[in-house]
Amino acid sequence: MSKKNLPWEAILALLIGIALGLLYSWVISPVAVVDAIPSALRADFKDQYRSVIAAAYAANDDLARARSRLALLGDADSYAALSAQAQKALSGGDALQSYQLAQLASALKELNPVDVPDTPTNPVAQLDLSATSKPAPVNPSETPLPLETDIPLFYTATPRATRTPTAKPGAPFKLLEQETICDMSLAEGLLQVITITSNNRRQIPGIELILSWAGGEEHFFTGFKPELGNGYADSLMQPGVIYNLRAADGGAFISELTPPVCQGEHGETYYGGLKITLHRP
Amino acid sequence: MPPVACPGIFIYPNLWQNTNMKRWLWFFLALAAGIGLGLLYGWVISPVDFVNLPPDTLRADYRADYILMVAEAYRSEKDLDLAARRLAIFGSEPPVEIAAQALQFGTSAGFSASEIADLEALVQALRTWQPSSGVAP
Repeated sequence: MSKKNLPWEAILALLIGIALGLLYSWVISPVAVVDAIPSALRADFKDQYRSVIAAAYAANDDLARARSRLALLGDADSYAALSAQAQKALSGGDALQSYQLAQLASALKELNPVDVPDTPTNPVAQLDLSATSKPAPVNPSETPLPLETDIPLFYTATPRATRTPTAKPGAPFKLLEQETICDMSLAEGLLQVITITSNNRRQIPGIELILSWAGGEEHFFTGFKPELGNGYADSLMQPGVIYNLRAADGGAFISELTPPVCQGEHGETYYGGLKITLHRP
Repeated sequence: MPPVACPGIFIYPNLWQNTNMKRWLWFFLALAAGIGLGLLYGWVISPVDFVNLPPDTLRADYRADYILMVAEAYRSEKDLDLAARRLAIFGSEPPVEIAAQALQFGTSAGFSASEIADLEALVQALRTWQPSSGVAP
């Protein structure tokens, strides 16, 4: 077919028609959304949805249901999403929301434990929480993190779990454990504090801690290093200075804290650190 | 052949052989086909990708479940302002109406007795609720 014989008008009309069709279907009258799923929500609404899931979990302690609801949001890693949001809430001054989000994150992590990074951020080293926290996974690599993907459309008849009392914000902390840490890979005088609940050993974020010494004091919070635990906080102590530690909302007062003197493999001395575990009954 | 007798209109049998007419016919046929193809592509093959949606587009069961979560949290927190703020995600409708719709849905969808009780408690509380300290729900 020669150029002259091509139906140019028809081709032009076809193109104009396609353009008109697309204009109508994409702009003038796009497919209407009336039955959206939670994963299609805008990010800030997803955050709100997530925080309400955590609040409901705090009320009914039904982890299976919370997981199902979280799965609806389509997060690649629910634990990471919850932890990040908990930090955001904490920095925004919403301690209750931060607490609830972190509690749910901790519960999920207990259910689906994962490896902590092998190389912790300096000067803070990886914590050994085995003495103060939940049992370690048998083999984390065999325990997949992603939550279930086959989500039932709606959960109305899920049997409720037996309610387990959870710690409420405001109960005074008690000293559970105080350890001397001699590890040359850590910063000298590192004070590590972990806040947990007594009943289920979940770490508690957003706890304001006060480290005081003659002539000064420092306030710091748990939960700002989620990679080390939602209830983890640390500070540095100067050798030769005596410190006192307490939670801002009352409870245990731990006095006479100072960096311990440790001895290395070749007889050299250095200042170690302390690890303190506080629990809330 | 004589013209068809129709007052004022003369149709000649060789009308469709008229080149101009054929061209217009093809033009409109192609235009219609193009519109059809455009609609097919825009509505079926590649519809507008819906992300970043507002919560009022949520399917009724998800919406009711969200409100149920608010009611469950309210049972524990007893903070009506917070509950109302959480419900405000659905727009400017009064929180009590939003909660009442979920209660209605829950009743018809077979929510458990405890879930219905939570929703009823929230609806009851919201009936007398007034926003405090200028916090708009």
